[in-house]
Amino acid sequence: MKHALHKMNPSLKFLLLTVCMITMAFFFDPWTPLLFCIGILVLQILFSRINWKKWLLFMIPFFVTAFGYFWSTIVFAEDQSGPVIWSFWVLNVTETQLHYALSLSFRILAFSSLSLLFAFTTNPNTFIMSLMQQLKLSPKIAYGVMVGYQFLPVLKDEFIHIQQAHRLRGATPEKNALQRLLGVRRILIPMLAGAVRKAESAAFAMEARGFTGERRTSYFQVITVSKIDGVCAALFLIVLLLSCTNRLWIS
Amino acid sequence: MLKSWKLKEIVLMSLFSVVFGIVYLLFLHAGNIWAGFIGPIAYEWIFGIWFIVSIICMYIIRKPGAAVISETIAATIEVLLGNAIGPRLILTGLIQGLGAEAVFAATRYKRFDLWVLMLAGVGSAVFSFVYGYFLGGFAVYSTGYVALMLGLRILSGALIAGVGGKALSDGLLATGSLRGYAISRSKKGESHA
Repeated sequence: MKHALHKMNPSLKFLLLTVCMITMAFFFDPWTPLLFCIGILVLQILFSRINWKKWLLFMIPFFVTAFGYFWSTIVFAEDQSGPVIWSFWVLNVTETQLHYALSLSFRILAFSSLSLLFAFTTNPNTFIMSLMQQLKLSPKIAYGVMVGYQFLPVLKDEFIHIQQAHRLRGATPEKNALQRLLGVRRILIPMLAGAVRKAESAAFAMEARGFTGERRTSYFQVITVSKIDGVCAALFLIVLLLSCTNRLWIS
Repeated sequence: MLKSWKLKEIVLMSLFSVVFGIVYLLFLHAGNIWAGFIGPIAYEWIFGIWFIVSIICMYIIRKPGAAVISETIAATIEVLLGNAIGPRLILTGLIQGLGAEAVFAATRYKRFDLWVLMLAGVGSAVFSFVYGYFLGGFAVYSTGYVALMLGLRILSGALIAGVGGKALSDGLLATGSLRGYAISRSKKGESHA
């Protein structure tokens, strides 16, 4: 069971996480997202083997974002009723404002912990394969996406080559931020032109090898839905249910 | 819907999505840091960059679905690259793509001038704002603040995605690498007329 989240069917995981996130969007109290976030962390600790140092590193930007939501909700909140609990300079922070601010920042944290759970326990190729086999994604698109994904390192090299070529010819980067933004097209257009050429040759090669885009009857890598998926789905739904009904059991 | 699509068009869309998936991720990280200091409004004025792939692909390929599929693929690539927003980004991409697609569908995929491309950017902006309003809990904010956010996003969608997308595609067309796609056929037709 220690690898249950890694072994779980990616499409099912994707659907479950989406359901969880949409449900969370209906709650405007601080407790629901906080409890949900903790629940997801517990699931991740129990049923996955991930690099927690890396996890924490990925989480840092979200703490920053959550803080941004926190203070802008305090400043720009519509509902400013309730007793003032904290005064600072010209700001009078009321209980309602703090309530909403905490709720929105915990929501960011809950969403990011869900997202990291998916990112750290899912293999990209398996995910695309599963989308094609379980969710009936068109093979044309599925294999097209995988081709694009495989070209990633090539595109990265090309980016470096274009930069080197620019430097070789004495093109210096602009200092002004706006000019630099407009200068991006000097790199993007050659990259896109290269991408067009690669796309054509890859498509010809696929068709030359008999790829028709028709749905296959059998696959080399078969992705299944098994008993583990049922158990994991149940666990996710229990966490969701417990955090949504927190009013009943937190007095 | 995919019957009329050639494989090379799909692979092209997917490769463009990879290129812009990387660009999107860079902006996402920049936006995240901004958002920490100036709140959710930080994303708004650069939001147009996230709609650009659907407009470029539709402008080049000109087939029903080009906007929504390319934007969804770009979001999927971002997820595959291991970004931290995670799988919900695919849904975001789908909704943004639908916004642009709706505008192109309204012209019956016949007009691809600057105004339509800018409107498509606005379409993406409005669709993504409704989704963001719901998921980000913007209902909590005061009406003026929300209106400012929406205004900035619409402007950004029209300018960055619409005008910027057209400029990039026209630059690409000038390199001559787009022979065999709908965009170069129509340009020839216009010059003969």
